[in-house]
Amino acid sequence: MSLGYVISLLYQYVDNVAFLLLAALGLMLILGVVNVINLAHGELIMMGAYITTLAYNRAHIPLALCMVLSILGVGLFGMLLERLVIRRFYDDKLGALVATWGIGLILSQGTLLVFGPSMQAVSLPSWTFSYGGYSFGGYRLLLFVIAIVVAVIAWWTFYYTRLGVRTRATMQNADMARALGVDTRRIYLLTFGAGSALAGLTGALYAPTTTIVPLMGNQFVDVAFITVVIGGGTNPIVGALTSAALLSLIATPLSSTLGTFIGRIGLLIAALIVIRFLPRGISGYFQDIRYRHMARVRS
Amino acid sequence: MARWYTGLWRIFNGPQELGRGRLFWCLFMLVVLGLLTYPAVGSVFALSNLANFCLYVPLGLGLALLWGYNGVLSFGQSAFFAIAGYLYGIIAGNLLEMPGGTLLAAAGGIAASMAIAAAFGYFVFYGQVSNWIIPLLLLVLSLILETFMAQTAGYQWRVGDVLLGGYNGMTNVPSLEIGSLSFGGASIAFYYLVIAVMLITYLGLRLLVNSHYGYVVAGIRDDVERTRMLGYNVARIQIQVFVVAAALAGLSGILYVSWGNYINPSSMGLLAATLPVIWTAVGGRSSLLAVLLSTVTLRSLADTLAVRGGEYAFLIMGILLLVTMLFFPAGIVVTLAVRLSSWKTAHGELKQNRAR
Amino acid sequence: MNTKQCDYVAGCTGQFNSNSGQEVAQLETDGESRRSFLTKMIAAGAATAVAGFPYIRARAAEPTPIKFGLLEDRSGNFSIFGINKWHGTQLAIKEINDGWTLEGGVQGPGGPGVFAKVAPKPPTANIKEVVDRGGDETAEDTVWNEEDEYLIKSGEKGVLGRPIELIAPDPQSDNTQFQALSRRLILDEKVDVIMAGFASAEREAIRPIMNQNKMLYFYNNQYEGGVADKYTFCTGAIPEQQIVPVMQYMIKNFGPKIYTLAADYNFGQLSAAWTRAMAPILNAEVIHEEFIPLSVSQFSSSISRIQEAKPDWLMMYITGQNHSNYYPQADAAGIKIPMGSSINIAQGYEHRRFDPPALARFHVTASYMEEIPTPRNRKFVERWRKMFPDEPYMAMEGHSAYVATHLYAKAVRLAGTTDKETVIKALESGIGVEAPSGWVFMDPATHHLSQYIRLASCDEKHNITFVTEWPYIEPWWTRRLGVNLVRHPESKQYIPDDDPFFKMFKKKEQS
Repeated sequence: MSLGYVISLLYQYVDNVAFLLLAALGLMLILGVVNVINLAHGELIMMGAYITTLAYNRAHIPLALCMVLSILGVGLFGMLLERLVIRRFYDDKLGALVATWGIGLILSQGTLLVFGPSMQAVSLPSWTFSYGGYSFGGYRLLLFVIAIVVAVIAWWTFYYTRLGVRTRATMQNADMARALGVDTRRIYLLTFGAGSALAGLTGALYAPTTTIVPLMGNQFVDVAFITVVIGGGTNPIVGALTSAALLSLIATPLSSTLGTFIGRIGLLIAALIVIRFLPRGISGYFQDIRYRHMARVRS
Repeated sequence: MARWYTGLWRIFNGPQELGRGRLFWCLFMLVVLGLLTYPAVGSVFALSNLANFCLYVPLGLGLALLWGYNGVLSFGQSAFFAIAGYLYGIIAGNLLEMPGGTLLAAAGGIAASMAIAAAFGYFVFYGQVSNWIIPLLLLVLSLILETFMAQTAGYQWRVGDVLLGGYNGMTNVPSLEIGSLSFGGASIAFYYLVIAVMLITYLGLRLLVNSHYGYVVAGIRDDVERTRMLGYNVARIQIQVFVVAAALAGLSGILYVSWGNYINPSSMGLLAATLPVIWTAVGGRSSLLAVLLSTVTLRSLADTLAVRGGEYAFLIMGILLLVTMLFFPAGIVVTLAVRLSSWKTAHGELKQNRAR
Repeated sequence: MNTKQCDYVAGCTGQFNSNSGQEVAQLETDGESRRSFLTKMIAAGAATAVAGFPYIRARAAEPTPIKFGLLEDRSGNFSIFGINKWHGTQLAIKEINDGWTLEGGVQGPGGPGVFAKVAPKPPTANIKEVVDRGGDETAEDTVWNEEDEYLIKSGEKGVLGRPIELIAPDPQSDNTQFQALSRRLILDEKVDVIMAGFASAEREAIRPIMNQNKMLYFYNNQYEGGVADKYTFCTGAIPEQQIVPVMQYMIKNFGPKIYTLAADYNFGQLSAAWTRAMAPILNAEVIHEEFIPLSVSQFSSSISRIQEAKPDWLMMYITGQNHSNYYPQADAAGIKIPMGSSINIAQGYEHRRFDPPALARFHVTASYMEEIPTPRNRKFVERWRKMFPDEPYMAMEGHSAYVATHLYAKAVRLAGTTDKETVIKALESGIGVEAPSGWVFMDPATHHLSQYIRLASCDEKHNITFVTEWPYIEPWWTRRLGVNLVRHPESKQYIPDDDPFFKMFKKKEQS
């Protein structure tokens, strides 16, 4: 068990966390605040990747700027979606599920028809560094850093800004918040836009590492669902962070020793087990603890 | 009219389902007659095709029962469809010499689907998880099963004489057989079998939803707490409905392998999982008849699109789904039926007023 | 909607669809008639049959076309491969209908080869003396001239005086659609031949249907080998033609320690079984095998395992869009281990889709690649690109489809009829053609095509060079298992576990 091996394991762990976090954060945010499952999440990620790739290959814009374009583009599209479609499904989770699935189907098939089955990818910046006989790609560490930064920004917005207070109020009791003058419709619009923008960011960031095909969103949604189900919608940020950390802890050693297939199965079984004991996910469990603690303090 | 006849008439014409009264049943009989006499005019291919569309009806009706009448959305119906198909293939493939082996295999396949559904239901309904978690978990379960079956390619993955086949699928699955009558995909016998199964399933479910049990099921959909407080064991009833839906999905699965002699993991995949949801949503989940019609129609639409404009097939499905959810949230057929009946009532009242 | 249908059905009049289009619309607008929808459908079906009569009668004046059924995915996961094969078939049919055919016929194995032409007269000089003197062996009257034209006049338009009509619906990469459309082509359209399928799953879904209905079926794709079916003819490359040569080359040039990375389904597992079995015979060792589920797209754990194992070279059997992400990721992680494969680059043109140097040090044994430098291939590429200017890449399987279509036409001419049993006998007669890649021969016993295999090497700039070639590799494996479809017709797919030879030669102990 050389130090190189340990570092390699740590690298894989960090890489998994980044993937889960980036894939699931947008979905979690939308679920927590707007109370809607967005099955078009994978297609929004795909959109982000396509915008980045097209801007980079056709217009030769520097890569970082392309990614910013993705964030803005998908965010705006998300807000448009919210306005036109999601608005009607605030109380109907299952209806939202089905409607967003339809949107996802339209987006992926439309992309196939317009851009064809595959596209020239963006090249991966090759920053490598080696240690102890292993070499690692630096780009993926960068992704981890960006994922953490994004989570921190989201957390800070949630807890330290006026917008965050209003959002949390809307999450807790929408009617009350409306009565107190919070424009809940705008909160929903902005949150859906933010969740979509995060999806766009994920797509943009992973565009250099993956093939650009219309169905590329699927590789993100399987793990995003599991992360969301375990994290729970009660507190999106905390839920996403803990869920990503926990699941990577399970998946990394499993796939490292027994193969990628077992790693995948392990993730799914972990999801089933957690949901049995914590039906509202980890963040729901944390909330229960807090309420119990508060009740005890009060009495 | 004799007592039992009145009772039966009342149940069949109960409020839980669309299409009531003499006119409806006359038209129904006409259509059934048409279906039964179709082999006289239709080609072998047309019969086989229509049978292919109709064998998915139990799958759709099962989801309608589960989602429309019980309020539980399931993305896992295709998983139960495929489990039954695979198990039928395994058992029938090993019992080739035994007469009636295929019937045993059919029973075994459906039983397997029901058992897994019961286990999953016990897990989920007694845990009282949120409504939206169930479809996600079932989707995830379908994907596990698909991944698992896709890697069973090697020789070591066999049960008795039957190779599981991995991603290539299980081939040479024997069709259902009773005595010397084989229900192969292109045979008239199979066509009649499918029509019979479709009708029995529809009428049986119609009876169920209009019975006392059906009212309780609908009550769970409307308000779980209230039904619980009225003393019903909600979790147990939900599991029962879930198992019935799985059994119906399994029935479709068995008809499918009898038709095609083949099954593979993509029958449990992402697109397969959402097709029943599309059929149910577009038809109108609150009505069995609507789902029956939409299943057959959408299956034939998919077939037509495959032949004449394949690239647009999924796009059209997606647009159809979105348009339905936005403008016909209760389902296209159901919305039209409601509008028709309200038009009829208004028209009737107008006539009455004019007569006065 | 009418004009769109005529895209794939050459010569249709547009009468096909008018009624069914109406039915669907009627369901949405007419509330009452939805009840009698089915009755209406029956009536409409009868009406179409009657309305179709003038169409049939009008056609009776011209020679009835040969109906050619094609089922290749134009949407869904496999569309990039399916469209390529569809184009190959269209090009071949156009050439046939315009009066061209591939040179060849019933000549047995071993054709003249790409660099040969029969001398117009017996050579006047002793070649050995010419060469010993330092002369050039490509002098005019010797047998070493380049043959750059493979297409010759067939003497008629179409086949047996009848044009070929292509009927190509889109199965959407969906196995169920493959089944339904096969039945439609066989029972409804009553086609004379079907060429179908990219993935092995698609082939296995319809092969029983072809067999039951005694329909002549061509499978034009590289695959894991083993199909022995009276009605099926395979024109793609198989493991003994690809895996064994590439292993020989890689072991000789890079070393005996092999790490296999394979897709976790039939093709990957069976190909890995071949590698595992062949390794001890070739004095090599598979130090580790890894099977990756088709949906996985992130390879960090695989990459670190590879670095830990330190193999001499990698055997790549990864397929699908998700898996091709391995190449840029491995390159970014700094992996510089050489790779061998039987499938990537030639089939999915990864060297065009990813930026250099992701596919550097990649070697593949291909039955065809667009970059083959022979004059006859350059002509082929020119003709293809003239008909399909937007083709992203001319892949291996498009070539297989093209060759299969011409081979079928030749067999029908030989048989003198489109009756399937007779055409099968013609295909079993020892027939071969000059394909753009080289001479290929349809083996009567196994119903597989011999192949001209070239080993392509991809460098840092993604340029392809062909470093070695095997001009004629026979499909010998199923023959070893005793398959002889002329003597004993059957219908099954053999897998390596059926072959006791695979377990016979274990790793030799190091002495």
